[in-house]
Amino acid sequence: MPCTIDGIATVRADRRRMYQLDPKRLQELRLTRVSGIAANVWFLGLTSLLTDVSSEMVTAILPIWFVFAVGMTPLQFGFIDGLSQGVAAAARLASGLVGDRWRRHRDVAVVGYGLSALCKIGLLLAGGAWGLASAAIALDRVGKGIRTSPRDSLISLSAAPERLGLAFGIHRALDTAGALLGPLVAFAILAALPRAFDLVFVTSFFIAVAGVAAIVCFVRDVPPSQEPGAPARRPSIAQAVGLLRDARLRAITMAGFLLGVFTIADAFIYLALQHKLSTQPAWFPLFYAMTALVYLVLAIPAGALGDRFGRTRMFLVGHVLLLLAGVDLLAMPAGVAGALVALALLGAYYACTDGVLMALASAFVAPSLRGSGLGIVATANGVARLLASLLFGALWEARGMPFALAVFTAGLGCALLACLPLLARMKESPRP
Amino acid sequence: MTLAPSMRLRILAFALVVVGCAAGIAGYAHHVMHAQEAPPPAAAASAALVAPAGHVPSAAAVAPAASAPSAASVRPAPSAAPATPGASASRRAAAAPLAGAARASMLVRSTALGDSYGHLTRAWLDDPEGPREVAPLACDRVHFAAGSGICLTAERGALTVYRAVLFDGHFAPRKTIPLAGPPSRARVSPDGRLAAFTVFINGHAYSMPSFTTRTTIVDAISGDSLVDDLEAWPVIRGGEAFKAADFNFWGVTFNRDGTRFYATLGSGGKTWLVEGDFASRRLRVIADDVECPSLSPDGRRIGFKRRDTANPGGRFTWHVAVLDLASGQVRVLPGESRSVDDQVEWNGNDELLYAMPLDSQQSSAETDVWAIAADGRTPARRLARFAFSPAVLR
Repeated sequence: MPCTIDGIATVRADRRRMYQLDPKRLQELRLTRVSGIAANVWFLGLTSLLTDVSSEMVTAILPIWFVFAVGMTPLQFGFIDGLSQGVAAAARLASGLVGDRWRRHRDVAVVGYGLSALCKIGLLLAGGAWGLASAAIALDRVGKGIRTSPRDSLISLSAAPERLGLAFGIHRALDTAGALLGPLVAFAILAALPRAFDLVFVTSFFIAVAGVAAIVCFVRDVPPSQEPGAPARRPSIAQAVGLLRDARLRAITMAGFLLGVFTIADAFIYLALQHKLSTQPAWFPLFYAMTALVYLVLAIPAGALGDRFGRTRMFLVGHVLLLLAGVDLLAMPAGVAGALVALALLGAYYACTDGVLMALASAFVAPSLRGSGLGIVATANGVARLLASLLFGALWEARGMPFALAVFTAGLGCALLACLPLLARMKESPRP
Repeated sequence: MTLAPSMRLRILAFALVVVGCAAGIAGYAHHVMHAQEAPPPAAAASAALVAPAGHVPSAAAVAPAASAPSAASVRPAPSAAPATPGASASRRAAAAPLAGAARASMLVRSTALGDSYGHLTRAWLDDPEGPREVAPLACDRVHFAAGSGICLTAERGALTVYRAVLFDGHFAPRKTIPLAGPPSRARVSPDGRLAAFTVFINGHAYSMPSFTTRTTIVDAISGDSLVDDLEAWPVIRGGEAFKAADFNFWGVTFNRDGTRFYATLGSGGKTWLVEGDFASRRLRVIADDVECPSLSPDGRRIGFKRRDTANPGGRFTWHVAVLDLASGQVRVLPGESRSVDDQVEWNGNDELLYAMPLDSQQSSAETDVWAIAADGRTPARRLARFAFSPAVLR
């Protein structure tokens, strides 16, 4: 099998023995499978689709709303945004552990989805009070932080180990479809009824409620079976931290962090494109839609390819694509062709890395600690990206956009080289 | 495929929730549509006239009629300004005044949340709360005199673009000038030949601890730059050259024939009133502690905002004050206790107009226009609700 490069094949045999689901439970799940993927994955995808329609329709109009109705400055907006992202990262770590301890990932995820739905009502009630409005937005981010780890755990626990990549690919494709639809719904409403911001919030709320209903009605917890040698008691914080003693998970976390630090945020890529093409800011939604479309189309094939040829390879290939996007922005002459190539590369990068990283990490975390493990990996990557955005912004300000792009492209290349031995260690590590 | 009974129940429950949500959205949409169709009487006048910002409103919108010229609003162009740049354009400026009836009126930016938000509206000074005409232009800041107007706009998006639009008495744009930052102050000279504007380069408010501004003067007809950046002009204080790296200028106000102007100079946390004239292209410091000056139509007094030295709560606050140019005497008007952050506008020679946010934190997007007597004998009164950046049409 070509998978041996990242140790998937060696681990697969162990996992059959160690991380296998309760046969009875597996039987039950199989009954509700659609085309070989557990119903849980499809319905979590439906929940994410609805929730993303709900949240992206608000995100799309937020800048306009803040300026027109609330009278907030971009500086205040940026401060609130940064603060809530930090809180959301902490929430993501905690919710993974809580889901593990209570063995109720589904319910923790419902709390996260429910909180975000309630925030839409908060925005409606806030009216022009910017304090209330920013509190609602911060809580929405926290809700997103809370639901991410338990949701990814449920996906990974519901999928057969050799189809983890496909399962995450399906979920991310549905999720991205929602993100693509959301702004369309919002602008359709505002086109029909100008300045009916409240209708946008009400619509967003009800769509979020439908999303919560989907997870409550159809998604079920997958309790990990009790294996010999597995912790008999509920997982503790110490055990969650102890996950990092596993060299392979540590390698994945470090690779995710290192590559994340040199990841150019999509907003900066759009800005760079705008800079290069001298287009109006009105083009931004188009850049965003192009990227999301490519992500949507490639998420499932990329996940399936990862399952077949190795998820580590896929993850690294994804970052090579991002590196190529950086090279394209630096070297290509200004023109539509170069822009399209950059956006396609960015979309393909997301397809090859976002769900794939979770699928990759899932294979190295025992089911009883899945939430904590995925939370650690995702948070390390997320914090790194946040740092990357700050660094990129500072470099752009100090030395200009081409300089920042060059530094990040070179940095990403070095990080990729550094990650090769890190990930190779996973192959060499002794069988558990 | 047969479904377990529990599964059927779940599908039913989900279907019910989805139907309920759809009904909720439809119900609220119906409510909003109904509300937009039948606005309350007070809002009806403006709501019926406008389209969203950036769109040309329906035929009902006001285009100040050329068929209703008003001799009162046409100030003959001064003949005694031969050395001033842009003088050749003065006849055209006076040819197309923003015509009014015999009634006095003012141009304001509407801050009523709704379709007309941000649009220029004309309020009648004898009935300021009555129906207002809505113009097709949307501005953050406006000024108008003798057939020439300036409209500072911000096209907000992921990257906001700022522009100054010079327009004529029919709100038709003459020229568009890109701005380097958020709009702050705008003035047209009383003869309609010159326009000045101030934008923030760093920061976005005078209450911020460090901000930098840029003040530009252009020909109000052609848009040609006359003073690209006021910082290029030499400053004289007490007969000696005065220069510092942190000079900022803001808030220009012109004299009647546009040959001289006043502005604020800020440096090292202090402010001065400077007087500039186009003949010598120099600035002269004539008073301390004057911000955002506004010259009265008779040219005798300057209305301005004076910073409160007490600096309560670490926040800058300002009081409306009047400086008599002949005697140099300053009188802070006691009739307004709130902080005023605006370049006041004279209504005749006896009253000052300024905008005031609805809430005390001064963060609201909604503002009213207030009026206060220049002699300080009476308290301030609210003149027009939901209005900003008043420009009295003379």
